[in-house]
Amino acid sequence: MSLAAALKASDVTLLPSKRDEDWKWTDLRGLLRVLPPPSQPFVGEAPVGPFAGLANLPIHVVNASDPVVIRSASAAPYVVALHFAALGGGSHSATAQIELAEGANLILLESYEGDDADYVANLDLKISVGANGRLERIILAADGVNAVSVSTADVTLGAGAQLAQTVLTDGARRQRIETRVAHPGAGASVRLDAAYLLADKRHADLTTVVEHQGVDGTTSQLTKGVVRDQSRGVFQGRIVVAEGADRTDARMGHHALILSDKAEIDAKPELLIFADDVQCAHGNTIGAFDEDALFYAQQRGMPEDVARGLLTEAFVGEVIDRIEHDGAREVAKAWAAKGLGL
Amino acid sequence: MAAVKQTVEHVESLEKYKHGFVTDIEQDFAPKGLSTDIVRFISAKKNEPEWMLEYRLDAYERWLAMDEPEWAKVYFPRIDYQDSYYYAAPKEKTGPASLDEVDPDILATYAKLGIPLREQEVLAGVKGAPRYAVDAVFDSVSVVTTFKKELAEAGVIFCSMSEAIREHPELVKKYLSSVVPVSDNYYACLNAAVFSDGSFVYVPPGVRCPMELSTYFRINAENSGQFERTLIIADKGSYVSYLEGCTAPMRDENQLHAAVVELIILDDAEIKYSTVQNWYPGDPETGKGGIYNFVTKRADCRGDRAKVSWTQVETGSAITWKYPSCILRGESSVGEFYSIAITNGRQQADTGTKMIHLGANTRSRIISKGISAGRSSNTYRGLVSAHPKAKGARNFTQCDSLLIGKTCAAHTVPYVEARNGQCVFEHEATTTKLSEDQLFYAMQRGLSQEEAVQLLVNGFVKDVLQELPMEFAVEAQKLVAISLEGSVG
Repeated sequence: MSLAAALKASDVTLLPSKRDEDWKWTDLRGLLRVLPPPSQPFVGEAPVGPFAGLANLPIHVVNASDPVVIRSASAAPYVVALHFAALGGGSHSATAQIELAEGANLILLESYEGDDADYVANLDLKISVGANGRLERIILAADGVNAVSVSTADVTLGAGAQLAQTVLTDGARRQRIETRVAHPGAGASVRLDAAYLLADKRHADLTTVVEHQGVDGTTSQLTKGVVRDQSRGVFQGRIVVAEGADRTDARMGHHALILSDKAEIDAKPELLIFADDVQCAHGNTIGAFDEDALFYAQQRGMPEDVARGLLTEAFVGEVIDRIEHDGAREVAKAWAAKGLGL
Repeated sequence: MAAVKQTVEHVESLEKYKHGFVTDIEQDFAPKGLSTDIVRFISAKKNEPEWMLEYRLDAYERWLAMDEPEWAKVYFPRIDYQDSYYYAAPKEKTGPASLDEVDPDILATYAKLGIPLREQEVLAGVKGAPRYAVDAVFDSVSVVTTFKKELAEAGVIFCSMSEAIREHPELVKKYLSSVVPVSDNYYACLNAAVFSDGSFVYVPPGVRCPMELSTYFRINAENSGQFERTLIIADKGSYVSYLEGCTAPMRDENQLHAAVVELIILDDAEIKYSTVQNWYPGDPETGKGGIYNFVTKRADCRGDRAKVSWTQVETGSAITWKYPSCILRGESSVGEFYSIAITNGRQQADTGTKMIHLGANTRSRIISKGISAGRSSNTYRGLVSAHPKAKGARNFTQCDSLLIGKTCAAHTVPYVEARNGQCVFEHEATTTKLSEDQLFYAMQRGLSQEEAVQLLVNGFVKDVLQELPMEFAVEAQKLVAISLEGSVG
């Protein structure tokens, strides 16, 4: 059951539904009665995305026109901006393959964009990072308000490899950004962060699966979200420690603010542990604004709306501050300020 | 010397599952298998009214159309539902009007299990010692209920389910299946069709139940399943504390225990429900035998300011599939769940709770401590949800897992659904192994490795043990030690 399979076979019954445990909060089958026809090839000047100016190599793809293959062996940090746009409606499925050789260092600035047309977009990424390689991946998703969009990345890490990822999204009609990381090699380290700022009737689902198969792996995960109006945020994080993956250290945190009575947050932070010499923890908090903090800011002379903005910015800022690439961090800051209406 | 003797006894008792004996008594069986005839047989055997038979037949019809759930992280061969006895009862000589008429073999069984069925024995204890009334369920029937008279004086009804159906049909009709609907899930539905006995408690408005109530479940017969049904109603402003214990003989076959427990709590009332589950866990090496414990427990806080507290110590069963839940419907109602789940050998447990916040200002707290050792698997699975109307809902969840050994597994699968902007949900979970430093410290102070592990484990589960009624807490502490026997060194 996947969107890719359903699009390939033009069969709605292959769409994941709420009866599939991993899709219970992001029901595609119930939403899409028919699949839109394939997207038309795009004619005109294609958008290049928010990161093009920061990259050594900017790549843009409209309506899944071409498969993307990136292979890097550069030990010096190499920046690729990869922009996917969905324009003019319809459905399409894009693929990208990214391979980092041993010791390679890549910064992948990924972005999604769409217009207001009804579209169904699927993206499958296969990423492999060689031994001692390093990948920083930043995803800025700006899908259209009527979009149904699913992006799935399968990441394999070699021994001693590092992955640092930050997802920033404002959702779509229904959107899922899924990252599955396997580290069979020993000593791999993963940072998986995300921030979602949702309003209106938008939906965003951030799903991660990290499988520690080798020893001495570490995972640090921090996801923060703010939902307003009638929006819905979904967080599903799963950390698996396989038998023999000793000395694994995994920490997961998901914290969300609900700023309206009709908004919704669903969370499932899972730990599946098959080894005993491990340190694993997760924390999950969901709630309204901290009235004490608000009161404090107001009694220091700050108007209420400024205080709220400042506190929300600080709340989300923790994720953004962890972005290592300076240029991307500035783009992220601007994105958050705009999303929070500051 | 007394201390030495006690130690020897303690070590001996650690060696194996000490409740694994079989009582050889004459029993009445229904023919093996499951069909409408069996359902009719059970109903007839219990002299049930027509409405009860219809209820059962309807449940059986629904059950036939249902599929067995497969989502839990437990693995076992498919159960052949036709290869089991659905009714087994000690042969009644004249009907147990008083304790003296109960089969002495059964009394001996309970004496061996340490359950006081003779009121004078309970009373013979130290003056001021806590007393508790017992309903003893042996396979499919309740054999005796103690202290009924004294409880009746207070207005409390405490009897077996079959008696309640006969004596208090209006209460049973009103509340039965009102919390766990007949077709709620596969095992609950099966239970509705074939349930044999269980306990019924009604505490009238404003009454504080004068003593602890308890039910002791014992599976004895071979190839039989136990399907008990418990219904507890705490009327406005009342309070009751209820304890449940269970054991079974050691056998190579798997036996099914599919119980349903329904609690109804009205305005300002409180129910405290404690379980020490010690069913036979199966052979630790081969995994052969043991009880499949597939239980549906749910409390409905129907009234405002109602409170329910579940405390469970789960040490037995080959497989545990159990989620005592709280529906917090009344305003400002409170749900609590304290759990210790220990798995060793080849045991599998998938257990947790559901806190469903429907009313405003409802509060819940979940403290779950899982310990896995040997080749076992232990999963915490829980749901906390807030309905749009549950303004001001508050939850705190803490689930900690402890791993002992390289081949065991511990999982945490919490679900959190928040549907309004005025609720606060907090969840934290940790998974670790026993601290080497703490073990070393305890051992260099002269404790053996086994003792050191026991000490640390007791510290780990202390938060939950202190929620148990006193007499259970002592028992539970011993049980923790027994369950982990052989898991280190």
